[in-house]
Amino acid sequence: MIQGNQFNIGHICTRQQCEAGFDDKVAMRWLALNQELVEYTFHDLELASNRFANALTSLGLRSGDVFFTFLPKMPEQFIAFLGALKARMVTGTLFSNFGDEALLDRLGDARAKCIITKKSFLKKIGRIRSELPELRYILLVDGEDNSLHGILNYKELMETASPDFETPLTDSDTPSVLHYTSGSTGKPKGVLHRHKSVLHQNRTAAEVLGLHGDDIYWCTADQGWVTGTSYGIIGPWSLGVTQVHFAGAYDAPAWFDILEREKVTVWYTAPTALRMLMREAPVIFTGRDLSQLRHIFSVGEPLNPEVIHWARRTLNRDIYDTWFQTETGGIMITNRPGLDIKPGSMGKPVCGIEAAIISDDGLPAPNGEQGNLCLKSGWPSMFVTYLNNDEVYRQKFRNGYYYTGDTAYKDVDGYYWFMGRSDDVINTAGHLISPFEVESALLEIDEVAESGVIGAPDDLLFEKVIAFVHLHDRYEWSRELELKLRLHVANKVSSIATPQEILAVDSIPKNKSGKIMRRVLKARYLGTDVGDISTMEI
Amino acid sequence: MLTPIFREVFDDETIELRRETTGDDIDMWDSLTHMNLVIAVELKFKVKFALGELLTLKNVGGMLDLINKKNERLS
Repeated sequence: MIQGNQFNIGHICTRQQCEAGFDDKVAMRWLALNQELVEYTFHDLELASNRFANALTSLGLRSGDVFFTFLPKMPEQFIAFLGALKARMVTGTLFSNFGDEALLDRLGDARAKCIITKKSFLKKIGRIRSELPELRYILLVDGEDNSLHGILNYKELMETASPDFETPLTDSDTPSVLHYTSGSTGKPKGVLHRHKSVLHQNRTAAEVLGLHGDDIYWCTADQGWVTGTSYGIIGPWSLGVTQVHFAGAYDAPAWFDILEREKVTVWYTAPTALRMLMREAPVIFTGRDLSQLRHIFSVGEPLNPEVIHWARRTLNRDIYDTWFQTETGGIMITNRPGLDIKPGSMGKPVCGIEAAIISDDGLPAPNGEQGNLCLKSGWPSMFVTYLNNDEVYRQKFRNGYYYTGDTAYKDVDGYYWFMGRSDDVINTAGHLISPFEVESALLEIDEVAESGVIGAPDDLLFEKVIAFVHLHDRYEWSRELELKLRLHVANKVSSIATPQEILAVDSIPKNKSGKIMRRVLKARYLGTDVGDISTMEI
Repeated sequence: MLTPIFREVFDDETIELRRETTGDDIDMWDSLTHMNLVIAVELKFKVKFALGELLTLKNVGGMLDLINKKNERLS
């Protein structure tokens, strides 16, 4: 796939496809909310991303500068992403539902120079702009110029930019994509990848998802998520495959209209969406002509066996669960066509990936025994650092293995089985939520003296966010206060982080060092044994 | 009368509601922020929505009609 040592992802996904004879091939079938179709050929993507790369360059932005997209799913996001990569900028994608604090943490840590967004999100950036001295330009896809504040009109920039751009030769180690991920403590960490990652994303898109020339492929993931970039942009376009992208969120009838009408052949979606589909009236699925749909894949949280059984009954298809992380950049362990599915398992490692279950003492765990899920370091899409936090990055590696933070076991047949996280990070609908971030946001409200946040099992979301708050004595719990807390978390952190339940309690259990004992909160919430509480502060 | 609530819940002062406004017209309106919206409307108008009622709502006009119907029943 690599030609002339050119590893640039933007180049490979556009120019290289044109040079391979795919100029006129449809790269993207863009479906607006009303399902109006606009097609973009690889030639269209090439010219538009060239213009964007030229626009960034004309603003004085340089290789290595950090650029972010902060947009809902829309064509400009894909063009900007590819164009920024062509200009060799470090390119991050932000979920459009992020609040002020989440934005500030990410833009500030990355020292972002430029961001592309839309008018309705401008207020959020405006409120934190004074704390982002390095942010020089805000490109608005739907607003007017305000050059005094570095706000520039995207359409005008694109109109004046040349469609010719010669992507500089980009070696494999050049930094490329940046995604932030949450930990159980501290601020979110910037997971930095390099252009070499395209090797793994390309290979797994072909060998796991089975994509090839004539496929019509649909990945429902948001581009704020690593799946949305690795397999919603890079993998399929590096193979010259036509992708469907839809502006809307989950909508069962609309989704099945799309699968049928667009003749989607490979569909990559999320367990939460599949579980929601299971609850829909069967009339949505019956009578559909899904004869073109070859494979369905899933990613984000463990796929429960019930979903696989439902898909076999209702859609007459298997669903192949895949596992990877922001840090891994691509699929590592997976179910795939040709491999017998053991419902509920993660599957087996991808060819070339060496996984291991390692006990806390550093020794390999015997088959069937739970331990730390680890990966032998050195795969092409392995992250290269946590931005500005190399020490934490190094702590993730021991004896040549990357410790994923997940716990699992391997059975005698070599299948891996996910057991949980080894930290307190909450996985809700495939999004990792830091309890620390939510606790911090809650503490910003005057009425709250202490807060503790946990993830609890949920049939639909895999885990739901549950918050406990201890109020200052002079305040009383009320529904108005609950709303205030919910809105604060939604607007400061993100709507995804908004607790499903907020419970007022007399105190938050802490150990003698003042650390919140989330396992005690969790046990109390679930009504299970709280275990050893000898270190709890009384 | 719903506009200030929408602006507060979705943190967007530019929102201008029409009866035909749906979730597709407001960037931040998703299933999670919808719950915040419901709580805010319930508190403001002192009404309570049943889950089934919420599922039938198609747009802002539908929500407004439902609120008015509930308030008529109370008065």
